[in-house]
Amino acid sequence: MDKPKVKIFLVDDHPLVREWLTNLIHQQPDLVVCGESEDAPHALQEISVTKPDVAIVDISLKRGSGIELIKNLKALHPGVAVIVLSMHDERLYAERALRAGARGYIMKRETAKKVIAAIRQVLDGKVYMSENLAAIFAEKFVDGRLLTSGSLVERLSDRELETFQLLGKGYETRQVAEMMNVSMKTVQAHCAHIKEKLKLTNAAELLREAVRWQENNPTN
Amino acid sequence: MRFVKQLEQRSRIVFITTALLIVAIIGFVDYLTGFETSFSVFYLLAIGLAAWFVGRGSAIFVSILSVAVSLGGDLARGAHFSSPLVPAWNAIILIAFYLVVVWLLAILRSLQRELEARVQQRTVALQEEITERERLERELLEISEREQRRIGQDLHDSLCQHLTGTTLAVQVLEEKLAARNLPEAADANQVVELVEEGINLSRKLAKGLYPVDMEADGLMLALEEYATTSSELFKVSCRFECDLPVLIHDAATAGHLYRIAQEAVGNAIKHGKAENILIRLDASEEGTTLSIKDDGAGLPEPLPKDRGMGLRIMAHRSGMIGGKFNARRDETGGTLVTCELCAEPNSEKLRRG
Repeated sequence: MDKPKVKIFLVDDHPLVREWLTNLIHQQPDLVVCGESEDAPHALQEISVTKPDVAIVDISLKRGSGIELIKNLKALHPGVAVIVLSMHDERLYAERALRAGARGYIMKRETAKKVIAAIRQVLDGKVYMSENLAAIFAEKFVDGRLLTSGSLVERLSDRELETFQLLGKGYETRQVAEMMNVSMKTVQAHCAHIKEKLKLTNAAELLREAVRWQENNPTN
Repeated sequence: MRFVKQLEQRSRIVFITTALLIVAIIGFVDYLTGFETSFSVFYLLAIGLAAWFVGRGSAIFVSILSVAVSLGGDLARGAHFSSPLVPAWNAIILIAFYLVVVWLLAILRSLQRELEARVQQRTVALQEEITERERLERELLEISEREQRRIGQDLHDSLCQHLTGTTLAVQVLEEKLAARNLPEAADANQVVELVEEGINLSRKLAKGLYPVDMEADGLMLALEEYATTSSELFKVSCRFECDLPVLIHDAATAGHLYRIAQEAVGNAIKHGKAENILIRLDASEEGTTLSIKDDGAGLPEPLPKDRGMGLRIMAHRSGMIGGKFNARRDETGGTLVTCELCAEPNSEKLRRG
């Protein structure tokens, strides 16, 4: 008897993409699309029923965000490997998606050739990402910037850590200054030190890092 | 003229009192100097005052009073005439003269009032026109912004997705061809690549039309990307500096700030021939400041018309988001463009977490 086919679930708000993704997947003898959805709540419901092996998820959906869906899937259905297939630039979203629990990130502009490869790689238990993205991550790793959530943050002083946490919680700089009872200049100095210690190049990166750290350490 | 305008605001009683007072004083002096010297011209001061500020009736009254006072004074000092008809004749001549003056002044006054009223009407009309034009300019800007955003979003959401579907379809075709060992599979592969290039192109187009991502940190990211692309594209050094994270929660505000930066950088390169441009986004207790500084030729004086338009639009954008706009020649010779946004006074967001 044949090996059971690998089940794939599609979450994308564009019908044409779903349709041809299905056709493409069905051309593979061992893959089958077991269901599709255009929004997050429906997808979550369907996935509990169809129990796919892989879910291909777009970040922007009709209702709900793809990133939230990935987090929910990771919590509720850890067996489902999620691959993000998005129009959004990988430099901005891949890290966030992977940290939320995705096993792969494909940009739609390179979908066609990569999607089957990505499915196979993820099924092998590996993480899939483009060469560009892998190079960016490698560079960050070499610079020590990927270690932020762990050891690097420990180098921050108490006040710097407080600043970092408040920024991560989504407070604006002015509010951080107010809450810490210091001037903006002081917050600015803290930020400069944080950037230096965490090897961040700019304020946008500092903020992203702070938010991510906060997400991973919600008890702080 | 302004002094007269201010005087006109005062009450009539003040003027009538002043006029009577003047008549009294001049009458007294007239009396002291005796009947041989004539003071009749000086009474015109009081008459003119009454005619201009009070009205024709009181002016006539003051005229007659003046003549009476003058004549009474002369008689009191013992002036004697060969016939009683002489002082009467003199008085009538004087009154006639005064009345002519009153009449002339009254005509002048009414002409002036008419003119004033007309100027006021025109001013109101003009002001309405200006308001209307400003509204139209604002609307124009809003429409172009909205349309650009819509086209950008459509490009990104619909066209790019459609093209993605197309690449998938061609990929399916390629695999089918390959399965039958047909050489056309290579062509199909090429089509996939072409369509993928198309996706890239329309993404870039969409980015130009709708540059700022909806999220609060979108402006920082967008400006950073813009600085990098400008540096590459125009072979200049365009840097973005931002010491503190600046979050702009309102997407429209972020969009306008981005466009201001874009226009300022464009001007710096195109008109100022600048080589170094620095875009800064600063947060302070007072609020958020966007500044664009360059080392180019600076703003020319006077501004050519086409450049004035660009500056006006920047100022408009700034006005629309409640910002304070300024573009001036920098101490170092280049141009410095700033847009200051006041901090929101409430701290409600502070309590949300």
